[in-house]
Amino acid sequence: MTSAGVRARPAPRRPGGRVGSPGATARSALGEGVALLRSGGRRSLLAAAGVALAATMLGTAVTVGWSLQTGFDRAAAAADLPDVIARFDRERRSEVEGRLRALPNVAAVAFRTEIRRAQITAGTGTTDRGVVEVVGPGRRGYAIVAGRDVREGSDGDVVVERGVARAWGLHLGDPVSFGRFGTGRVVGIAVGPDNVAYPLASAPRVYVATNAATQERFGVNVAMVWARDPSRVDITLQQARATSFGITDLRFITRDGVRILLDRAAGIVLALLVAFAVIVLGAAGVMLGVAAHADVQRRLQTIGVQRALGFPRATIVGAHAARAALIAVPSAAAGLALGALLAAGPTGDLLATLNELAPGAALAGPLAIALAACVALVAAASAWPALRATSRSPVALLRGGEVAVAARRPRDRRLAGPLRLGARLAVTRRGRFAGTVLVLGTCVAIVALLLALASLLVALRDDPGALGKRYDTTVSLPASSAAAVRRIPGVQAAAPRYEVQGADSYALGEPVRLVAFPGDHTVFEAPPLASGRRLRANDEAEVGVGLADALNLRLGGTLAVQLEGGGEVRFRIVGLVRALDDEGRIAYVRPARLLRAASWLSPQIAVRTRPGANQKRVSDGLLALGATPVAVGGATSDNARLLDTLAALLRVVAGVTALVCLYALVQALALVALERRQTIALLRATGAGLRTVALLLAGVVLAAAIPAIVLGLVVERFALAPAVGALAAGYADLAPRASAGQALLIAVGVLVLCAIAAAVVARRAMRVSIVSGLRRE
Amino acid sequence: MRRRGLRTSCAAVAAAATAAHTCAAAALAVLALVALAGCGDGGASERAAAPGAGGSTVRTTWRDDGAGEPIRRPGERLRLRRALAASGQRASGAGRELARFGLVTDVHVRDEESPARVPFLDRLGPPFNSTFRPQEALTTQVLAGALRALRAERPRQILEAGDLIDNDQTNELDQALAVLHGGRVDPDSGARGYDGIQDASNPDPFYYRPDVDPPVHPGLLDEAQRAFVSPGAGVPWLPALGNHDWLVAGEVPVTPRIERAAVGDRTVIDVDAERALQELGTTRPDTAAIDRLLARGLPGREVHVPADPRRRMLSRAQVVRRLRAAAGVPGTGPDLDYVRDLGPKVRLVVLDTEATEAQRLAEPGGTNAQPDDGESAGRGTGSLTPAQTAWLQTQLARAGDRWVVVLAHRRLDAAALAVIGSHPRVVAVLNGDTHHNSIEPYRVAGEPGFWRVGTASLADWPEQARMFSLRETAGGGVVLETWTVDPEGGALVGISRELALLDAQGGRPLHEAGRRSDRNARLLRAPA
Repeated sequence: MTSAGVRARPAPRRPGGRVGSPGATARSALGEGVALLRSGGRRSLLAAAGVALAATMLGTAVTVGWSLQTGFDRAAAAADLPDVIARFDRERRSEVEGRLRALPNVAAVAFRTEIRRAQITAGTGTTDRGVVEVVGPGRRGYAIVAGRDVREGSDGDVVVERGVARAWGLHLGDPVSFGRFGTGRVVGIAVGPDNVAYPLASAPRVYVATNAATQERFGVNVAMVWARDPSRVDITLQQARATSFGITDLRFITRDGVRILLDRAAGIVLALLVAFAVIVLGAAGVMLGVAAHADVQRRLQTIGVQRALGFPRATIVGAHAARAALIAVPSAAAGLALGALLAAGPTGDLLATLNELAPGAALAGPLAIALAACVALVAAASAWPALRATSRSPVALLRGGEVAVAARRPRDRRLAGPLRLGARLAVTRRGRFAGTVLVLGTCVAIVALLLALASLLVALRDDPGALGKRYDTTVSLPASSAAAVRRIPGVQAAAPRYEVQGADSYALGEPVRLVAFPGDHTVFEAPPLASGRRLRANDEAEVGVGLADALNLRLGGTLAVQLEGGGEVRFRIVGLVRALDDEGRIAYVRPARLLRAASWLSPQIAVRTRPGANQKRVSDGLLALGATPVAVGGATSDNARLLDTLAALLRVVAGVTALVCLYALVQALALVALERRQTIALLRATGAGLRTVALLLAGVVLAAAIPAIVLGLVVERFALAPAVGALAAGYADLAPRASAGQALLIAVGVLVLCAIAAAVVARRAMRVSIVSGLRRE
Repeated sequence: MRRRGLRTSCAAVAAAATAAHTCAAAALAVLALVALAGCGDGGASERAAAPGAGGSTVRTTWRDDGAGEPIRRPGERLRLRRALAASGQRASGAGRELARFGLVTDVHVRDEESPARVPFLDRLGPPFNSTFRPQEALTTQVLAGALRALRAERPRQILEAGDLIDNDQTNELDQALAVLHGGRVDPDSGARGYDGIQDASNPDPFYYRPDVDPPVHPGLLDEAQRAFVSPGAGVPWLPALGNHDWLVAGEVPVTPRIERAAVGDRTVIDVDAERALQELGTTRPDTAAIDRLLARGLPGREVHVPADPRRRMLSRAQVVRRLRAAAGVPGTGPDLDYVRDLGPKVRLVVLDTEATEAQRLAEPGGTNAQPDDGESAGRGTGSLTPAQTAWLQTQLARAGDRWVVVLAHRRLDAAALAVIGSHPRVVAVLNGDTHHNSIEPYRVAGEPGFWRVGTASLADWPEQARMFSLRETAGGGVVLETWTVDPEGGALVGISRELALLDAQGGRPLHEAGRRSDRNARLLRAPA
């Protein structure tokens, strides 16, 4: 046995002609790797634990990121979601079908009659604002997830949307009442990804069936079109518009448009979560690499012995890589599985609220890739330091490995006693010290990001200011009432605000929202100007960067919007703004031109109250004008379930991160305690007690924790937060930066973890007898 | 020339076979035998139908891929149709070629910038679905492309089956004739460049605007206005008169008010088409109703457009006179009826199916009672005046033992067909107007009957012309080989084809391409 506790094995035989052959080297390396693994014992277990924890983070990130990123596509594929959905005032089926069949690139069409404000009573729920989708023959556009589909001619068959079934506690066979239109029975539960699920959607939705003759008699108001080539759906829409004369209140939405609307419904939340998962993914990689690197650093003396005995470099490097891989495979698999399990529940709930489907077995692929990446990363991170070590002379390695070549550090007079000694012990092993700082710093950065993200989500939900809105209340009054509203004490400004949904006139699948204020709109909504200038004339527009990116719009270009009803309105783009609302697919204009094209538009009065104004007085004043004030909300839904699931997801990630942090501290301390048993035993022999040993170990962890806290906070502020903002919403200024209070909280938290780790390891060190400690090293 | 080339080729291959002394030469000999087997009459017949470098659909053809994009497909061989064949008559024994001619129809060369147009009616759907076409700025280029493709098929004449122009305007006819004659063609009107409803600045989304709407073709309209060089027909071309050649929009006789609108500098946009229709009171308005509407002013917004005196309208007599002069066809009367030999043993009889329409409109209170042709819901038939019927009988009798081909713009009505059917030497009656590829036998009791052949418009999908080759068969019969031809040319021809395919009111949804056997066929006709 060497001092490093590894058996010295004779150099492998080198049969003639096979010296250094790749196969022989690999076999030899694998054998050595297995031997290293067996000899490692607790160290191997500790390494496995580190890999497992990092992999848990990775598993969580992969599950969240993959599930959310692909949820819509999965649901759309399962539901056979049409490429275009057209809504219009009720028309004879044959009239619409004739026009649709004449369009290019049409593979199939199907029709529905959408009955709004329907009376629906079922299970624990009742509403008079329900939506009954009367489907006809042909493709459906929704996926049955339980039971069966409705059948033509089977009166009373009802398919309910999954969100409705969950919210109202409905099961197959339960009765459904439609008021005076009779009753039915639930035969199936469906997911229709053309809208978010109830209750995130305001109206519960059910499906019943009818035949083509009835559709002809009573008319249809929804047409679904499946394209032969979905990538060319733009030409289909162009022709549909050209031949749509006489069909009133026509609105198109493409599959991509549905995706955009669903994303809007969940606000910026999904994008933030996916971006966060990407960041965590990177962090987990760093942790894996650093842990593996540090593990090999401990074995430098062993490598020296092996080199002295004539082991080939390739065998030594391969042995360390093999050992790391053997540890990584089961531990990473377990960690990934655990991470996936932890994240699966909340992620599934989140997907359900969006009418999307969980990946199920499809997640196995990304997890397998993550496992392979884990193992490769750990093996590479182990092989690299081994490769570097084998390039040094065995004598240098045997003198003490890294310790022997460590530069002498100036004494820090400010630290005294055991704390200072602990700090010195920590920095003696530079590689390990750097690794610990990196892992802790990464954890700090992740936790800081989590806290900042949580604050941002709350702000997005509650604070209109987060969206650049400076008004806090709206009322439904005619535009002419704005002056009267302004006269209410406490009101700083009031103006009619027009809002209309349209589509880009040249790319009809791209939804656009126009917001119009007479005069200076920045009094009420002031997203930061990215380039250009603010609008000054009736024919000018400020366009959100999200919209500009989607439509390739430039300053000086033309924004042409087709409004509901068929009219087109055009504006010259004079400014690009970083609007967060509607994913930046928004444009600010003056109302004059808009009202010429859409005279039916009626405004809301946007009310901006003075800071510190008496809200009650303002509210009473508005009520006196005959209007009910409505507080302006944020970007995300205030749906409790959505926010709960988000909170659960963040808690999972936070919990795993804290565990990784604690692991890194304990690992660092345990190694120091093991290697410095003689020092600790000497201290104890001179009368030092638990407090002194704990202080020594605290010095070790503080030496790493303090720079790690600084590093982590700096990285979060200047790297991760902008990265998440750019990934989630490159069209807006949305960097979730931790506040000073949050930074302080994190610092205290890490110090508490340091104290816990020092106390735990000190107690264990005290259980080792002094004699034993003095003898072993 | 083509036959001589083929014989030379066969001789060379035969020579190669004779010289087959080595293994390599033996292999050549096998190839030569295969080639020689194709040198018989049947093979020659097949090759006669096959294209040179042109747009013959026997080699390759443009088809609708279903996703809104024309794609090249393998060619369509001629399908043998025996409905009018004698027992035992065979096409494979076809002998010498008696006539070889091409046909273009319903070109609708259009001054798409003209203020005399009514494109806003297009949105009302049938019967106005041809008042606007996404590809309407490219009609001259498509005609030039069709002539280029036909010339590669080496016809001896090219027939033009009516509706050469769209709106009875002088400049439309000038442009069409320039394309047919060959040389420089200026398709622009008004001021230099495009001023029309397809401009990107037009906020009316019911029109396709190629600079911004999908499929986006930036600069297409400017390119379409540029002068270009047409290959011309290269051979004699023989016109028939169509309703769009002499009636405004193919419907309405010229009035002074319409004339003023055409050469004026005001046009109406943002038209309330439904209101305009209500004010007309009918989807088939008479001249007086249109004049009344024009007097009141169309319900819409008037804008300035560059005036162009070349847009003046043509009378029927002017159109007939100019067509006669340009094509060099005989005749002096008001109707464009004439005969011309397509070969020593084949005579062409051209009928003016607009004559009855002209008579009807000339009567007091006369309206265009015949629904407009291939672009309306109820496709009209062409009738003949009593004088024309007598003239036709005379000409058929005078044809003697020549085979006869009859050409008319509209599909002839039963009375005219009965006259033709009584003459056993008539092989085929060709028509335009329907915008539809069709081939059907017309059987007559006690007579061999004839083939009725309709051809797609160059203005709508599939934008095809047609080739014909008439050959003798053993036993005194004939076989009429016909195949469609895709216009060939630069990018503009391809874009026009793509836009024609996309047009939801155009030839694709109406299946104007017809069945395969309506396009390329070998039509047997029993001996007279």
